[in-house]
Amino acid sequence: MADSRQPPVNEGDDTDTGTDAGSSDSDWELTPASDLNLPVGERLRSLSRERGLLDTSVGFLWWSFVRTYMTLYHRLRIVGRERLPLRAPFLLVANHASHLDVMVLASALPRRLRHCVYPIAAGDTFFESPMAASFAAFVLNALPMWRRRAGAHALNQLRERLVGEPCGYILFPEGTRSRTGEMGSFKSGLGMLVAGTGVPVIPCQIEGAFRALSPDRKLPRPRQLYLRIGTPLVFAETRNDRDGWRQIAQDTEAAVVALQSAD
Amino acid sequence: MNERLFGYQHAFDHPVTVWLTVFIVGVLVIAPLCIAIAVWSGRVVEPQRTELRKRYLSWLLLAPLMVIPILLGAFWMMLGVMLLSILCYREYARVTGCFRNRLISLVVVIGMLMMFLAVFDHWYGMFVAAGPLTVVAIAMAALIADEPKGYIQRVALGVLGFMLFGFGLGHLAYFGNSADYRPMVLMLLVGIQMNDVLAYICGKLFGHTKMMPKTSPNKTRGGSLGALVMTTSIVAVIAHYVFEGSGLDHPLRLITLGLIVSVLGQLGDLMLSSIKRDVGIKDTGQLIPGHGGLLDRFDSTLLVAPATFHFIGYFQGIGLDQIPRILTGPG
Repeated sequence: MADSRQPPVNEGDDTDTGTDAGSSDSDWELTPASDLNLPVGERLRSLSRERGLLDTSVGFLWWSFVRTYMTLYHRLRIVGRERLPLRAPFLLVANHASHLDVMVLASALPRRLRHCVYPIAAGDTFFESPMAASFAAFVLNALPMWRRRAGAHALNQLRERLVGEPCGYILFPEGTRSRTGEMGSFKSGLGMLVAGTGVPVIPCQIEGAFRALSPDRKLPRPRQLYLRIGTPLVFAETRNDRDGWRQIAQDTEAAVVALQSAD
Repeated sequence: MNERLFGYQHAFDHPVTVWLTVFIVGVLVIAPLCIAIAVWSGRVVEPQRTELRKRYLSWLLLAPLMVIPILLGAFWMMLGVMLLSILCYREYARVTGCFRNRLISLVVVIGMLMMFLAVFDHWYGMFVAAGPLTVVAIAMAALIADEPKGYIQRVALGVLGFMLFGFGLGHLAYFGNSADYRPMVLMLLVGIQMNDVLAYICGKLFGHTKMMPKTSPNKTRGGSLGALVMTTSIVAVIAHYVFEGSGLDHPLRLITLGLIVSVLGQLGDLMLSSIKRDVGIKDTGQLIPGHGGLLDRFDSTLLVAPATFHFIGYFQGIGLDQIPRILTGPG
């Protein structure tokens, strides 16, 4: 990544630890936007991009549209909605066979979580051209992951932001859309985001998206879609190293597969 | 249609408008020559030279963007100032971090729109009421998060932002409700920008003692005093021709008007420096090459607009002969 800025660390995290009225921590915390003064193109692609009023409104309109579209055109059925988290941070992961997947997951989220959710999108597909990057950044609120050079640095930046902001990510750990409809194996980068943090990983399984809009199609067919949401997995005790990451990827993959044969 | 709002054919009705426009065009033509001479004589060396060049090129775009809407009609000026105030608030919000409270930001922007609706409408009562109403609305909106920690900070940042960019710049737009707003607004713009330039030049020529080293290390007493004397005289002379024959056309009052422009212009500058120092950043943005963000250029206007508005309003009123409430009034 071009910028090495740290994501903002919110000072509000420790309010639950019983701050008494007499404490002297009344200093104002003035934290400028972490993408302040980045040139426009760089800002779009920055992992520390922060949303303003306009982007949020655009995103909200898009989300309302997607919700309606999913209900009317794809008759989306959601099973296990009660397992969705009540607050950030969290990570939604699912099998990936279609561009519809991110819309399915986004439309399952309640409004109160929607503003702090970032889909992690392939940099080479969504962030190469200025037009696509503007759409991905301003409308989808996506953050880029460059597949050919997905370095530990970028993943660490994402990990810090996940806990620090805190926010939620939508992630497809296969790393690409399935070309056959069959789920591929999960990459261990997923583990690098959550190992040892206690951030819940919510396994989700999407059915029907490949038939509705497979990677070789341009327009979606009106097929019914199903989203099954599984029990959150927590990896607070898992070690933040290569073995731990692989373990997390395997466990999550198994959880998603288990949802497939749930009913 | 309304002549005041859209009457571009009246652009040059007032002689002062003609002079000031000619003056601005003249400065833009002469400035590169001055820079060239300064470079040739060796007074300006490399890092400053590029800086000056960038600044000049930005002015070449900024000046028409500021002057043309004023000449075209009050509607275009009000629209321009409205966009400016929203963009300035955006910059401020990103600098101070108060943009993260989206609800408060939304209330601030709605308050601004309400205020500018009153400006377009020529509804002074609403224009005045929009300020306190928005402040109350911000205090209410900040409650909803149910997080008492930081409540005062959230409210205060929202209120300051609204007051500076909604209320402050709103007064600049409200000048448009006067039939002869063009010479007045151009006089203010020229006065405010000359004040900045003169402070810079005087500071270079006879600036020794730093004025407020902690707030703004580049500002000197010499620069400030020089700008004070020169801007006050310039504004007083222009104002004499703008307000000829009115209650304001009296030496002491004209000089007071000039002093308001110069002193509040410099204070506005220092105010933004304080905000930047408090947050710990250098520029508020990088929208304008050589200047920084929008705020770096329009900081001195923020305080001058309301003060001069009420000073001029006290002696001759603003837009008293114009039809009020042209949009919302009883048909």
